Amino acid sequence: MDKHQPINSEPGILKLSHAQVFLYLLLAVVTILFLFLTNAYVFRMNFEDWQPLPVPSLLWVNTCSLVVASMGMGWAARAAKANNKNNLRTGLFVGGLFALVFLTGQFWAWQQLIAYGYVLADNPANTFFYLITALHGLHISGGIVAWIVITKKSWKTDDAKSRSAQVSLLATYWHYLLLIWVMMFGLFLST
Amino acid sequence: MAFVIITAIIVIGSVLFNFITPWWFTPLASNWGSFDQTIVITLWVTGVAFVLISGFILYCVVKFRYREGHKAKYEPENPKLELWLTVVTTIGVIIMLAPGLVAWQDYIDLPEDALEVEGVGQQWTWSYRFPGDDGIYGNTNGRLISSKNTFGIDPLDAYGQDDILVRDNKVHLPINTPVVFQLRSKDVLHDFYIPQFRAKMDLVPGQHTNLWFIPTVLGTFEVACAEFCGTGHWAMRGEITVDEMADFQTWLSQHPTFVETMNESSEGRGRQIVQSLGCVACHSDDGTTRIGPTWRGSFGTQRTLVNGETLNIDDAYIKKSIMNPSIQIAAGFASIMPAYNLSEDELDAIVEYMKNLSVE
Amino acid sequence: MEQNAAYEGQQIYHPKGWWGHYVFSQDHKIIALQYICVALSIGLIGMFLSLLIRMQLGFPGLFDSIDAGSYYQDVTMHGMIMIIYLLTALFLGGFGNYLIPLMLGSRDMAFPYVNMLSFWVYFLSVIILVASFFVPSGPTGAGWTLYPPQSILEGTPGGDGAGILLMLVSLAVFIVAFTMGGLNYITTVLQSRARGMKMMRMPLIIWCIFLATFLGLLAFPALFVGAIMLTFDRVLETSFFMPEIFKGGEVLDYGGGSPVLFQHLFWFFGHPEVYIIALPAFGIISELISCHARKNIFGYNMMVWALIAIAGISFIVWAHHMYVAGMNPYLGFFFATTTLIIAVPTAIKVYNWVLTLWHANIKMTVPMLYCLAFLITFLIGGLTGLFLGNVSVDVPLSDTYFVVGHFHMVMAVSPVLALFGGLYHWFPSVTGRMLDDRLGTIHFWITFIGTYLIYFPMHYIGFLGVPRRYYSNQQYDFIPDSVADLNQFITICALIVGASQFILLYNFVNSAIRGKKAPKNPWGACTLEWQTLESPPGHGNWGDQLPVVYRWPYDYGLPGATADFVPQNVPDEQIT
Repeated sequence: MDKHQPINSEPGILKLSHAQVFLYLLLAVVTILFLFLTNAYVFRMNFEDWQPLPVPSLLWVNTCSLVVASMGMGWAARAAKANNKNNLRTGLFVGGLFALVFLTGQFWAWQQLIAYGYVLADNPANTFFYLITALHGLHISGGIVAWIVITKKSWKTDDAKSRSAQVSLLATYWHYLLLIWVMMFGLFLST
Repeated sequence: MAFVIITAIIVIGSVLFNFITPWWFTPLASNWGSFDQTIVITLWVTGVAFVLISGFILYCVVKFRYREGHKAKYEPENPKLELWLTVVTTIGVIIMLAPGLVAWQDYIDLPEDALEVEGVGQQWTWSYRFPGDDGIYGNTNGRLISSKNTFGIDPLDAYGQDDILVRDNKVHLPINTPVVFQLRSKDVLHDFYIPQFRAKMDLVPGQHTNLWFIPTVLGTFEVACAEFCGTGHWAMRGEITVDEMADFQTWLSQHPTFVETMNESSEGRGRQIVQSLGCVACHSDDGTTRIGPTWRGSFGTQRTLVNGETLNIDDAYIKKSIMNPSIQIAAGFASIMPAYNLSEDELDAIVEYMKNLSVE
Repeated sequence: MEQNAAYEGQQIYHPKGWWGHYVFSQDHKIIALQYICVALSIGLIGMFLSLLIRMQLGFPGLFDSIDAGSYYQDVTMHGMIMIIYLLTALFLGGFGNYLIPLMLGSRDMAFPYVNMLSFWVYFLSVIILVASFFVPSGPTGAGWTLYPPQSILEGTPGGDGAGILLMLVSLAVFIVAFTMGGLNYITTVLQSRARGMKMMRMPLIIWCIFLATFLGLLAFPALFVGAIMLTFDRVLETSFFMPEIFKGGEVLDYGGGSPVLFQHLFWFFGHPEVYIIALPAFGIISELISCHARKNIFGYNMMVWALIAIAGISFIVWAHHMYVAGMNPYLGFFFATTTLIIAVPTAIKVYNWVLTLWHANIKMTVPMLYCLAFLITFLIGGLTGLFLGNVSVDVPLSDTYFVVGHFHMVMAVSPVLALFGGLYHWFPSVTGRMLDDRLGTIHFWITFIGTYLIYFPMHYIGFLGVPRRYYSNQQYDFIPDSVADLNQFITICALIVGASQFILLYNFVNSAIRGKKAPKNPWGACTLEWQTLESPPGHGNWGDQLPVVYRWPYDYGLPGATADFVPQNVPDEQIT
């Protein structure tokens, strides 16, 4: 039972903690956001003058980074539940580090495209690519802010289990952003 | 029971107003009477609903007013009543929707064998094009638009050669003939709306839209732009004159074809430019003051600006007023005019035109 | 975050110092008041802008400074302020924040810190909005709908300056604030109710705010995406919405975009937005009408289902704003049908309110006056929607004053009447004092009759064909001089109604300081917010013991009880 849940109260509709409800709803909203972007992309794609953007192979590496980051966070979440403070620290470290690696890789991919002349305003496919990757990157950055707060608390503590709820939520967020990335990457590849 | 009396007056007054109002549909001048009919049906259905429900409310307020010691009846639900009300409402909705959808089907079903006209909107004026004897519009391209080729017709397209161009705000149509308008915009969203014809459709830059009607009354009718298009939106007035067929043909024959316009002499070029760019929406050539100062009799005179400075209206003044108007606003006028990036040629032609307007 | 051991379970934050108590408060009641104050303030500016609009329409030429450019800036900012920054913020941020925890028997929102943040981010969005008044070319004058291409081009005020940019940034910031607040409300409603407060025992206003929040969370992202893309088009010269454009004598550097795409994104947000405003107003009416008529609300279950139906269907009606926009005409059939279908659950709600009055025991208090006026004006506003929703009828009426009359009646008049009724009703809960009845009644009559006189005739000049968003009608022969006379009349009414709002303001401030002290639960309401130990409720709302709920919120006139109401937290054994 969530420590926020008073003892003498009506059970919530969903068998989840307050923080879980909040996060899942937030993810629903973010999903709608990316759905609209996808919708606009597909709408525009069907015009005659569509010129697809070549997908830099660096993006495959970046995808792997994000997968590793997700795995790290997942490991951290399991470690916290099992009260294993060393694995918790390692997992968090891997999760955060590879998210940063992902972001760096995305920037680098942007630089590559610009160097080849695929600038922002030339062509709708370009603009959509930059816009979608930028918004995704912003959400990763937001996650990193949360990661900093949670990792600070988790690093010092001996009681890994007490951090379990928060670390699980962070891991959920990481997995979600990986999922969004896979969908968007798939969108770019398919056009 | 002040509330009941005042509200009853409001309700009855509203109903009465509906019958004595001086503001009603303009006299119908096209075939779209079905829209009017649907509106009247809707008015009856909604009017009856309004009176019945308001009446019931007022009745309750009187009959069930507060009495000390009395308690209200405890009635949380009545599913049967709710169901009945739902059914009645649904029937009411269908009565209104059905004729509306039928009328819409007609509206979007463009007739074959209709007279075709293209209506072109721009900030803040209208122009028109007929497809000519071959019945086919020439291709257009925004990048070809210039003051000489104001419609942007492709000079290499054979079909465009005989297109008849109407470069001022006034178009004529023949009575009792179905007309299909092809609509496009050069710049932003506009909407082609003639109240008496009951018809309207947006003009969307980058695509074509369509509209059709049959004019049934002779006369001149106004076109009012019905989609916000900038500070001159309210001034974008056009005219449609409905003629007998013979008079329409005469009018049409007085307008040049595309080929003829491309071969026009440059005399009068200044006038063409200001018409094609829509300057006439805000400036008159006959002395009347509109949103902007009149051109007639202005060249060579002194003009005071909003900042108190007085300048002589010469070549340089006119050119600057076109390329960068906001730094040279005449006193008594607002800074609304957008900048126009014209070529030296075009500017010279306009200056010529201004001079002519000040000579007579 | 300390935990006060005296409180059962739920952690709440205990503020330190004046700043912690009144400025950066995490108490939902303070945050609600902050939202209300900021929203009403910006609303006063919105009202002032409307009077400028009316001065131009009623007495053209009287004020030289109102030229076409500034007129359109007034029109745009008036609309945007009223819809987003006043009504949405006030109903959800104000009423939502105050009532949700109290009515559910909770100590505070699920995440009080995020709640506080949501207010400050809203405040930031208001600052950015106001900043747009002070940039060189002034605020945007593109119409509240901000349609491209004109909204980001020269020829529209603020289009080529900072005006449109600040507007778009302000909207994006507002959406962030709304999302934070909204997630809080949903979490609290779903997960944080007192024992016995099942979902189907929640007051209808909670259902309304809950569903309105859902609408917002799912609809605002569409506006967000549209705003970002429009910002890109403006700043980076991309062409999401910008087709080939010939303007100012030259071909601009855009191409391939679709203006209609913006409209789809905008109205996918825009239509649910009007329900975000309407639903809480519905909720207020449900609470007020049953309390002041001393009778249970009729058909609670159907009311809830109708709300859910309205919320769901509101997502599939958006293109009724686009019948003549140049989209595929066959879509007109679909959207006209869904739009007229949504009339059915809405009508059921109206019937149920009216049936609540049947065999009731109606007290003609000021809140009841507002309820009744709401019903009359909402009838007009809702019924005129049936004209516009019917696709072919929309052809002659679209973009005319019929639309202006319709949306003001249904969004500005009736919800604002509900709002005033709600302020009146809950004022004693917030301040412990009563608002003055006489002033309230005078304010009511001027507002009700005045707004009716302003907006009812507009429908008829709409039938005539007078277009909206026109700075002046003088050039058009089809518009008779009598329309100018009507405009004069409407302006005078508007000035009177505008002035009378200061009666409310005075009443508010004066009564808060030295109004008659309110007894506990002065209206005899059943809902929990009136059943707190202290009135106004203290920090933590419920003292040591959270309430337990035994019944639905509408046990007015319960047979077998002597009193004509039984509050929700009274068990059967204790009914007097």
